[in-house]
Amino acid sequence: MTKTTAAPKIKLTGVSKKFVAPLTGHTTLAVTGVDLDIQAGEFVCVVGPSGCGKSTILNLIAGLDTPTSGTIEMDGVLITAPGAERGVMFQDYALMPWQTVVDNVGFGLRHGTPGKNFTPAQREARIRDHVDMVGLKGAEKKYPHQLSGGMRQRVALARLLANGPDVLLMDEPLGALDAQTRLILQAELLRIWGETLPREQRKTVIFITHEISEAVFLADRVVVMSNNPGSVKSVVPIDLPRPRAEGVRAHPVAEQIWGMIKDEAYRAIA
Amino acid sequence: MTTTTIAVTPARLRWTGVWHATLLPILLVIVWQVWALTLPENSAAPSPVKVMHAFFELVANGGLISATVQSLGRVLVGFAFALVVGVSLGALMGSNPTVRHNLDPLIESFRPIAPMALLPMAILWFGTGTAPSLFIVAYAAFFPMLVNTVHAVSRVDRKLVMAGMTMGIPRAKILVRIILPAALPGVLLGARLAMGVAWTAIIAAELAVGAKSGAGQSGGIGQMMFVFYAYSIDLNNIVVCMIVVGLVALAIDKIFRFAEFRFMPWRHK
Repeated sequence: MTKTTAAPKIKLTGVSKKFVAPLTGHTTLAVTGVDLDIQAGEFVCVVGPSGCGKSTILNLIAGLDTPTSGTIEMDGVLITAPGAERGVMFQDYALMPWQTVVDNVGFGLRHGTPGKNFTPAQREARIRDHVDMVGLKGAEKKYPHQLSGGMRQRVALARLLANGPDVLLMDEPLGALDAQTRLILQAELLRIWGETLPREQRKTVIFITHEISEAVFLADRVVVMSNNPGSVKSVVPIDLPRPRAEGVRAHPVAEQIWGMIKDEAYRAIA
Repeated sequence: MTTTTIAVTPARLRWTGVWHATLLPILLVIVWQVWALTLPENSAAPSPVKVMHAFFELVANGGLISATVQSLGRVLVGFAFALVVGVSLGALMGSNPTVRHNLDPLIESFRPIAPMALLPMAILWFGTGTAPSLFIVAYAAFFPMLVNTVHAVSRVDRKLVMAGMTMGIPRAKILVRIILPAALPGVLLGARLAMGVAWTAIIAAELAVGAKSGAGQSGGIGQMMFVFYAYSIDLNNIVVCMIVVGLVALAIDKIFRFAEFRFMPWRHK
């Protein structure tokens, strides 16, 4: 069997995940029957009401959890454990509180597999480049607790990119920010991702958000999920030119996506 | 109208702090001396002046300093043992729930046994030299060390470990590079408490071991107190020992607070 150029980067086939509460034995079906193909260089956003299993899917792709049934592959190889080729940016950033900005950005390069291809000098240069790239020059020696939410988010982004992963898995990375910072960082994320580069030079991104306008602004495709149990309701292509204009956030497609999840979103908070 | 600004410099604040911390002890010493002056000339009751006199004498003949050094040495050895065993076992129990659930009942049933309750056995097993005191100190320091390490390690943010795994960091390195540093504040707190109880335990152990060995050479500041009590009934000397014990405890605590400040700069708010 030969691999065609259109072979997906990440392929989910019939993925379900059931959680069992350790004490009561009570089971919860978090996601069920998820089939999803994500192409190399694609920016995919996942939206849906709370509790639809968005984070569960991300953890499964990261290899931090294993599916109860179904398979997840990357480049045709089954995912069974976490690996640096699939970098994760966590919702609350997961920065090491005892490490400075530079040390946090360089954590994977210095202690993990991403550093293997570099000499120590190249590693340090790469760390500096990424600190500069996200605009943290001057804050290198600060500790996470001394930084604003936006700056912490930049540290997490720089750490993610410095590790040079093939696939970026981002779990509501902008969720904790104020509205203005969020808009600025959305645009910056697209710039760093390589919006102006040809598709084959871009990273593959799977980005979870509950903000539909954010998904429309960022994504090539939006995966709309539904809850109880979590499953894919629809996959909406966003065929809008890049670089994206600010006005894209209010595109009618956002309204259309909101229409798909509105009822469940209301039910989720009722 | 003119405005006066009072410059509150860090140095000024520090001196204010020192003043507040020493005011009450100074007052107490004055009251104590005044009370002692009302007593008859040949009274055996200690007074600040007599204690001061005894202090200089004990320092001059070298006895006080060598006894203090000996006690401190025992505490350090016993503490080091508790640190090594407590942190390794604590890290294992904290990161592995199965190990924790298996060992918890055993640990929790030994923990309420006061270190002093082990003294008869320690003396029977180890005699009257340094060994029984070391045993008691290590036993006393072990539990705060272990319990705090277990707690700190088991409470490490799961997300940090997950982040490490997704950065391709091998298991052993995750323990050394993520779990232990993240648990460090709790481990250091345990060390400070352990050192405190170790110092308390050594005095009691040396008193008891000293009682068993009589005026023999079991050494340490605790034994020194026993000798003053049993052979010369010299309260002034005993008070000197008490004060030294207190000051050493204070110094140990200060060293640990400084270490926390020095080694955990990310905790400064």
